[in-house]
Amino acid sequence: MKPSAFEYHRPESIAEAVEVLGALDDEGRILAGGQSLVPLMNFRLAQPTHVVDINGLGDLDYVRAENGTVRVGALARQSTVEAEPAVAERVPLLREALSFVAHPPIRHRGTVVGSVAHADPAAELPAIARVLDATVTVRGAGGDREIAAGDFFLGPFETAIEPGELAVEVAFPASAPDSGFGFAEFARRHGDFAIAGAGATLALRDGVIAEPRLVLCGVGPVPVRASAAEAILDGAAADAETIDAAAVAAVDGLEPPGDMHGGTRYRLGVARAEVRRAIAKALDRAKGDGR
Amino acid sequence: MSGETIARRRIELTVNGERYELEVEPRKLLADVLRQDLGLTGLNLGCSHGVCGSCTVLLDGATARSCIMLAVQADGAEITTIEGIAPSNQEMHPIQEAFWEKQGLQCGYCTPGMVLRTVELLRENPDPTREEVREGIASNLCRCTGYQFIVDSVIDAAARLREEGAAR
Amino acid sequence: MSNPRTNTEIPKAERPTDLKWIGKSVKRVEDPKYLRGLGKYVADLGFDGMLHAAVVRSPYAHARILGIDCSAAKEMPGVRAVVTGAEAAEIVDPLPDSGPAPDKHVLRVLAVDKVRYVGEGVAVVFAENRYLAEDARDMVMVEYEPLTPIVDPLAALADTGNLVHDDLGTNIAYERTFTFGDVEGDFAAADIVIKDKLHWHRCAAQPLDNSGAIAMYDAGSGEMTVHTNSISITSFAFLLAATLKVGSNKLNLVPHPTGGSFGARFSNWRTIATAALGAKVTGRPVKYSEDRLDHILNGDQHSSDRYYELELALSRDGIFKSYRTDVVDDYGAYIYLGVGTHGNAMAQVVGPYRIQSTEYRLRAVLTNKTQQGAYRGFGAEVANWAIERIVDKAARELDMDPAELRRKNFIQPEQFPYHIPTGNLYDSGDYERVLDHALDEFDYTGMRAEQEKMRAAGRHVGIGIVSCQERSVYSATEFWFWFDEPAAEPTSTAEGVKLVVDPMGNLAITLYSTPFWGNSSDTMAAMLLAEEFDVDPQSVSFEYGGTKGGLPAAGPGGSRLTVMYAGAIRGVAGKIKDKARRIAAEMLEVDADDLEWSDGGFQVVGAPSSRAEFPDIAMSAHLFATKLPDDLQSGLEATHVYDHPYTTMPSKDRSDLGVFYPCMGHACHLAMVEVDLETGGVEILRYAAVHDAGTMVNPRSLEGQIIGGTAQGVATALLEELVYDDQGLLLSSSFMDFLMPTAMEVPELRIGHEETPSPITEYGIKGGGEAGRMMAPGAVSAALDDALRDYDVHVTDLPATPERILDWVGERTGS
Repeated sequence: MKPSAFEYHRPESIAEAVEVLGALDDEGRILAGGQSLVPLMNFRLAQPTHVVDINGLGDLDYVRAENGTVRVGALARQSTVEAEPAVAERVPLLREALSFVAHPPIRHRGTVVGSVAHADPAAELPAIARVLDATVTVRGAGGDREIAAGDFFLGPFETAIEPGELAVEVAFPASAPDSGFGFAEFARRHGDFAIAGAGATLALRDGVIAEPRLVLCGVGPVPVRASAAEAILDGAAADAETIDAAAVAAVDGLEPPGDMHGGTRYRLGVARAEVRRAIAKALDRAKGDGR
Repeated sequence: MSGETIARRRIELTVNGERYELEVEPRKLLADVLRQDLGLTGLNLGCSHGVCGSCTVLLDGATARSCIMLAVQADGAEITTIEGIAPSNQEMHPIQEAFWEKQGLQCGYCTPGMVLRTVELLRENPDPTREEVREGIASNLCRCTGYQFIVDSVIDAAARLREEGAAR
Repeated sequence: MSNPRTNTEIPKAERPTDLKWIGKSVKRVEDPKYLRGLGKYVADLGFDGMLHAAVVRSPYAHARILGIDCSAAKEMPGVRAVVTGAEAAEIVDPLPDSGPAPDKHVLRVLAVDKVRYVGEGVAVVFAENRYLAEDARDMVMVEYEPLTPIVDPLAALADTGNLVHDDLGTNIAYERTFTFGDVEGDFAAADIVIKDKLHWHRCAAQPLDNSGAIAMYDAGSGEMTVHTNSISITSFAFLLAATLKVGSNKLNLVPHPTGGSFGARFSNWRTIATAALGAKVTGRPVKYSEDRLDHILNGDQHSSDRYYELELALSRDGIFKSYRTDVVDDYGAYIYLGVGTHGNAMAQVVGPYRIQSTEYRLRAVLTNKTQQGAYRGFGAEVANWAIERIVDKAARELDMDPAELRRKNFIQPEQFPYHIPTGNLYDSGDYERVLDHALDEFDYTGMRAEQEKMRAAGRHVGIGIVSCQERSVYSATEFWFWFDEPAAEPTSTAEGVKLVVDPMGNLAITLYSTPFWGNSSDTMAAMLLAEEFDVDPQSVSFEYGGTKGGLPAAGPGGSRLTVMYAGAIRGVAGKIKDKARRIAAEMLEVDADDLEWSDGGFQVVGAPSSRAEFPDIAMSAHLFATKLPDDLQSGLEATHVYDHPYTTMPSKDRSDLGVFYPCMGHACHLAMVEVDLETGGVEILRYAAVHDAGTMVNPRSLEGQIIGGTAQGVATALLEELVYDDQGLLLSSSFMDFLMPTAMEVPELRIGHEETPSPITEYGIKGGGEAGRMMAPGAVSAALDDALRDYDVHVTDLPATPERILDWVGERTGS
């Protein structure tokens, strides 16, 4: 299980990276954390002819809060983001979701932007980008493009990034200070990909739910933003009936493909349960002064 | 494309305090460079796809799985392998002593990775509960011990390190 | 003790007294080098000029090989040779095979005419490094004609058209019914007959280290040296030498430690032959080091895959009378260990119970899957699960407490040594004592009360209990008593050691056949030597001897090693001490009979100040020839080969299989689980295990085995499965999908010990290495049944995955 040979590029600036990627068109695979790519290369399931290693682009290693947004650069490691106080404060759902991503040694190398760009349907971080309406900035020969999370995920492992482009940042809008958050997933082992998972943020104002956001992962080709469920939650009382109704609506019409770890019907049942749990967690944290 | 026609790259690694200049194929895994080029066969390849953790090293102080890292990615890094943590050939690191005392190993294959992960865990949390230890070592698979004596070892190591720290 | 092989009288077991080292949880002697990363596994070894092998593996489960084009591969950089299966067949013969018809299910290092499982090797590349070997492997062009894969073993039974091995004429490799006692009569007379239908799905040991071999062939002398982490079984190595076409005295299998085995290092002939093939073809050292895919697909080490139909006959008040097993075992494409896993089952098929008659119908079927090898328990763990499942079903039927139902059926202490209907012997035991200790360890009464509270709060919590046997020390007979006219009837499974005492009185012991799997082999030997010679175990030095000129030895497996070392070391120590005594007598100018061993030397009985210390005796032995008794030579060394302590032959008609696995350990496990009915997730809330492995040598290391084995048993019950799709593709071929437990999936164990010594082994030791895995699947299954009793769930399939659990619940609720 050794990788096949490839041409290796290690640009020393973002501009150089974009130039190299442009010249390679879609022949270049980007290597950041490598925690997803290198295993595939060891299996020779991925056999890129060119690898563009962006680990030299120190300018992209940042996570900073700016005007109600938390900006995460392409080289910010998952564990760095997890430990960043600004993240705990402003996008706590991101921090909670990160604690479910594999194991700490993986998070030391894996990047947040890399995981979002990898777009694994079972992964947590693409779902968080989706539910918080994050913006992905990609840079190409023509300059920067900003892509809303809702337009970013096109299919399993498929995003709106064009050949020759490099995702340089994901910006997460801060959650309202009085909102609660909750991430829940069921996996067969600690650290595994979820059978199904859900992330929620919401606030409790005047005794009813406000600004509900809900997403599911592992239940479709892309993260599923549960708008119908959000509509049920919006303005409703925070009771068991509401939560149940939202959970039912969240999985309605979904057909996650089955595999050896669970068939479609089973996964939908798990998804429903995790939606309930995510909402319950968020409500718990939203009660009273919210945090 | 053949590995032999790809240009090698010069990289610099500091491993267990020693600096090395190497010329490696870009595709060569860090695990193989450490094991083959530097003879540091303490780290082991259990799965070669980043799940078992037997290949764990400390890279710039943080645990990393060397089987899913290209050596070229480690250019300029400071790496510690299991061979580098004992204070000398005659003594062992307190964590190694603890694992020996508590029988935290059977076949020894996962042990280098487990010990390095323990270095990291105890640095972050010098007085963990058993539950915290279990969660902390969940990153590293062991097929022999069933983990209980590893937990005992880590708790014992924590006490030894705290004592050592207090003595200074 | 007179020759126990022919003497049917078994002495009373004695608890050894005055032990100085045995029974102490000393630090292991192996550990420092592994802790420092200095333990050299085969994967760590290199030799000048060494080449690396990469095997071209079949993507099809069943296909004819129409042609292989290696021309492009041979041109690839660093490639020294590419060998196809047809070419290999000229250089190495079929691998040793204990199967029923080795000439019809011909097992070769590489496939020749057709491939029979995904992963089967069809060609091999030998190159300067593994990277280059894999590059060249990608360039080997194989033309296949796909055939219909045979994946369903129950369908394969009946299929006469589509065969795994055409020459065999059937997919049934072996079929026979064994009847012991008046099964028909006992069933007819019974008040109640309980039936059960079970499926133990395929899994595998998957130690973190894989099989590896480095072979060197000297064409001038004809010597083949193979550095290997497989066991070698010295006295059977001549079969492998024949395969490799080298003289029987010219094959040296040199043992190296392996990072775990759990059975997966039991006879890795394919790995050895692949490396040896390369050495012969290239004239250079060749390493074949399996990677994870090589091992899981082509390592010959899948577990039992059994479909059971069981019947238990009992009286109205819960006394078991008779037990029928009908089992179909899916062996995969080959069957190189024969049906030995069913011999293991029959060693203890009636469990710890006084069942008077039993029937065992076995059908071994072949399919297009990787073949079975050995996985901790070697088939007896499956039989344990089976009988405990049906006993639990009986308990529910009779509305009896499962602990009490077991208790009333136990073989009683005064009945030992006890022959079970199959003919095997249980040497000693006290099952009730183990049960009571376990109930206490677990706080059974307290936990039942806790359970009621939790159930009242709507939680699905259950408690399960099992009482299981753990046989140890196998005899060779279980590999051939399957046939009325076997090709040969071996009865030797010896273990030899060589001990050299140096002039300073320090000990150097040579062990054979890859002793170290993680199983504390060295510590066991060191402690046994310490007991004999009053030395610190850490002072002993070790050598692992190869098969060339090596003593008969089989190494680990069947939990035999500590028992066999105890016998071998007792024997070799006796020989050394005999010579030492005579030298001491000469030194002290007394009669040898006036001396007794005490505290590291010989002293005069009644005059303890008149002593000769062992180091002085040793120095004398080595250097002062003229001072030795006339008939003694210089030096102080001995070898001793210890045979199986108690084997008897099967009867001609096989209505009595003889004694073949007599050192019978026993354990009781209890588990408390909680099931989440929304996800099917299972949490283990509490777990207790009480084991009786006779006299314990190192309690802590035995506990390590119990915990490790239980972890594997829990994983077998809940997580691990090798899943094949309908094309014969293995879906769970990586650690992403073959789910071995992390520290979060394994419970904390409360462990207790009992010791009923064996009457037939030195010190009364019994094997304990397979501990835990033989019991945990049943305990977890029982606990799940109990947690889901409102839904009448009876766990019939392992692993009980979350989805299966919800399906079972759903069957009851109609959802």
